Amino acid sequence: MKRFLRSGDFWSGLALAALGAYILSEAHRWVYMSEDGPGAGFFPMWYGGIMVVLSLVLVAMSVLRPARAAEVRWKDVGRAFTCWIAFVGCVASMPVLGFAASFALLTWFIIQGMFGERARIAIPVAVGGALGFYALFELGLDLALPHGIFF
Amino acid sequence: MDIVSGLAHGFQVALSAQNLLMCVIGVVLGTVIGVLPGLGPPATIAMLLPLTFKLDPTGSMIMLAGIYYGAKYGGSTTSILLNVPGESSSVVTCIDGYKMAMKGRAGPALGMAAIASFIAGTFGVVALMLVAPPLANFALAFSAPEYFALMVLGLAMVVLLSGDSLVKALLAMLVGLWIASMGTDLFTATSRFTFDRVELLGGIDFVIVAIGVFAVGEVLGNMEPAKPAEMLPVPKGLRNLMPTWDDMKRCRFAFLNGSVIGFLIGVLPGAGSTIASFISYGIEKAVSKHPEEFGEGAIEGVAAPEGSNNAETGGALVPLLTLGIPGSGTTAILLAALVLWGFKPGPLFIQDSPELFWGLVASMYIGNVLLLVLNLPLVAVFAQLLKLPAYAMYPLILGVSIVGVYTSASSMFQLWLLAAFGLLGYLMRKLDYPTAPLVLGLVLGDAMEKALRQSLMMSQGSLSILLRPIPTALLAIAALLLLVPLVRKFNAYRVRVVEREVG
Amino acid sequence: MPFRHIAAASIAALALAAPAAADWKPTKPVEVIVHTGPGGGSDVLARAVAQMMEKEKLLPVRMQVINKPGGNGAVAAAALYEKKDDPHTIGFITSVWIAGPLTSSEAKITLKDLKPIAGLLLEPAVFAVRADSPFKSLKQFIDAAKAHPGELKQSGGSVTSRDNIVRLQLQHATGAKWAYVSFQGGGERLAALLGGHVDIMVIEPQEAGEQVRAGKLRVLAQLTEKRLPGYADVPTLREAGFDVTPTRQIRGVVAPPQQPDDATKYWEGRFEALRKTESWKKYIHDNQLEELFMPGAEMKKAIADIENQLREQYQLAGIKTVR
Repeated sequence: MKRFLRSGDFWSGLALAALGAYILSEAHRWVYMSEDGPGAGFFPMWYGGIMVVLSLVLVAMSVLRPARAAEVRWKDVGRAFTCWIAFVGCVASMPVLGFAASFALLTWFIIQGMFGERARIAIPVAVGGALGFYALFELGLDLALPHGIFF
Repeated sequence: MDIVSGLAHGFQVALSAQNLLMCVIGVVLGTVIGVLPGLGPPATIAMLLPLTFKLDPTGSMIMLAGIYYGAKYGGSTTSILLNVPGESSSVVTCIDGYKMAMKGRAGPALGMAAIASFIAGTFGVVALMLVAPPLANFALAFSAPEYFALMVLGLAMVVLLSGDSLVKALLAMLVGLWIASMGTDLFTATSRFTFDRVELLGGIDFVIVAIGVFAVGEVLGNMEPAKPAEMLPVPKGLRNLMPTWDDMKRCRFAFLNGSVIGFLIGVLPGAGSTIASFISYGIEKAVSKHPEEFGEGAIEGVAAPEGSNNAETGGALVPLLTLGIPGSGTTAILLAALVLWGFKPGPLFIQDSPELFWGLVASMYIGNVLLLVLNLPLVAVFAQLLKLPAYAMYPLILGVSIVGVYTSASSMFQLWLLAAFGLLGYLMRKLDYPTAPLVLGLVLGDAMEKALRQSLMMSQGSLSILLRPIPTALLAIAALLLLVPLVRKFNAYRVRVVEREVG
Repeated sequence: MPFRHIAAASIAALALAAPAAADWKPTKPVEVIVHTGPGGGSDVLARAVAQMMEKEKLLPVRMQVINKPGGNGAVAAAALYEKKDDPHTIGFITSVWIAGPLTSSEAKITLKDLKPIAGLLLEPAVFAVRADSPFKSLKQFIDAAKAHPGELKQSGGSVTSRDNIVRLQLQHATGAKWAYVSFQGGGERLAALLGGHVDIMVIEPQEAGEQVRAGKLRVLAQLTEKRLPGYADVPTLREAGFDVTPTRQIRGVVAPPQQPDDATKYWEGRFEALRKTESWKKYIHDNQLEELFMPGAEMKKAIADIENQLREQYQLAGIKTVR
């Protein structure tokens, strides 16, 4: 019975129902229908409402028919999530370190940290890649990339 | 001037040494821009405008137009190889194109994109030449109620893109609708879902969502196994770099579909090539004998959208050149260019400036041929990109995504959005939600809402305005499309029942 | 070296340096921030101005257009504000920069936070109907609207745009009532009129020009103070008998808030010189714009006036204003 608590559908369904409820609460504050036609709240009420209904259907299906719900392999998530954190870190550091340095760090992390290659491969590729992007876009095409202390 | 003499005159103009050179420059530049995400035809044309003042207007127009339709050829490259859409109209190509690349068929995918672009692009020019004025008047009959029905038709595609779970596809689409409504409401100036951020006042550019959900999400997903799999097998030998005759036969309908749908939607001001590519993809899947292959690497899933986004350029030139009405961002700049050069785009344009019109038309024939000749060998060049080891490929994809997003709006905020949508894309994969309906809802949702409200404003609140001939026809087609999978399921069910009886 | 020589040399050096400090000149390319993407109105104008400046040799450096679209000008305003005291950055503004912050609380920077340099031109507009429409004058349209309230339709931009404001002003002044349908792009609005889906629209004279010449549109009245040369036989709103002053659609130049005064004066001077050139006069004439030059101080007042007028109109129309 408790199997449904592990199913992705159950939790994502609840999350979407919450989102739908939020949408409805915001849409409530806007005009639904005025004499000039539907107002700003018209569409959001509808898609928010349908979202709530469908997501609850999903939740119900995951409880009542657990065999068909998506089986999520949660242990592998750790690695993907780490990579995402690295990506966020890269974006966060761009105004400070500039594009090339931040991107080089991200690349190095992926090659050495995620793929387990040696530093003597990781670092040249990281530096080369970052400089390559910089050369092509900033210098070659005159398109601004984020700047920081380094370039 | 009738068509034959006009075209003859046009070729004379287009084949002059200077104009031919301009054409070459335009299409080459266009291909490069199309390949690079983040740099698009509008920005490039605007940057080149000052240079054109010293040059002949006909030649300049030929070059700028070359950039316009050339970019549509190049846009599929990063979509197929990296799952990063190079142009907004190449988002749909990512769906099947990237899957084909993962199965070692990047070459045929790239080649088919070029071939379909050529066929549909040429069709677009032919149609522009033959039916431009009457079609322009037909386009004027298209207004909000017709757009609404068209958008409903587009959203009916969700059913076709739903894969296994219709409920999840619909939920993804609804989230797309929600993201689409972020920003300032056009009709009431109310801010919706802006979380008090000034950057959200104009809404979220769907290219950021597409790159985040498709490209970044995919990379994150691939990070899961302890030793992430080696990338894509590189095809050996020329045979594997081009579509086979079998592929060409399969895509027969896709060529027609892409050409006609792309052109017709291009003619409608405001519709855009992204919508055209979604609709032709959906129609292709609906009539296919192997619909389950779509989303897993069906070559028609590359041919149809790539063709339609090229035919769309021919279509978009119809209202521009016959009425002086720009239908999209790029045609708006072309209009500004024409005005700056001293022309008067409007209903009398073709009459007043036949050498520009016919020279342009002739140059587009030449340009499409040039692009085919240019792009097919490039397939071999680009396919080498896949020789990169996985550990270099994924940072490359992330780098291209970051640069593509940042250069299109010069704002760190967009990069944060990219990170957020990357996470969303990963979660959707993990939880088995199809990603295409999200993008579909985002692209069409905004347009659909506007069209509905405009229609109701025009009819003073009465829905009967939707019963005009064209909307009724489109809504009927949408209903049919929705029925097709149901009928299929029903037939399959019947077959199973019969088998059980017999066996 | 004897002290008096040093002193003399120093005084001489200072005497030479002082006028140079007062005559500021740009030393690197100047960035022009616009709030539209490439091809949008401000972008096209900025590029045209850059080209004219170069042709008339008015600047020692080149102008670079920086696109900061988004948020109805709010993103561009914020970007300009962040440049604080940079003398090498200016921005091109339109009335959208005034209207946007009135209705969006997300916009944190308004024109009051920026430093006006000069007003450059006014964008006029005209009322147009299809050539086969039964209305030969604006009065006929208004009378028909009075007789059948809500049935006639006007296409236009956002509900806060000039198109709608002049409609609200006319409705208020005459008691007529007609519907307003917003379309995102100018092309769509024109297509809606030409296709017969709406009855009237407010359109820029230049866009209308070609349609009129081809016999597709008829111009009923112009929203200007004086008649435009291209529309010599079309009455202005006042001449047509309507006591309505449409809000001015002004285009001008502003600077970051703490830009040094001598730099701002320099820019004001350059734009004043520009307006005297043949290129500028030709541009104004070809694009059917209304010439107007306002030095910074006058522009500041004009902006405040427009803001008050817009606020009043929005409140009358029931559009929520946040400041």
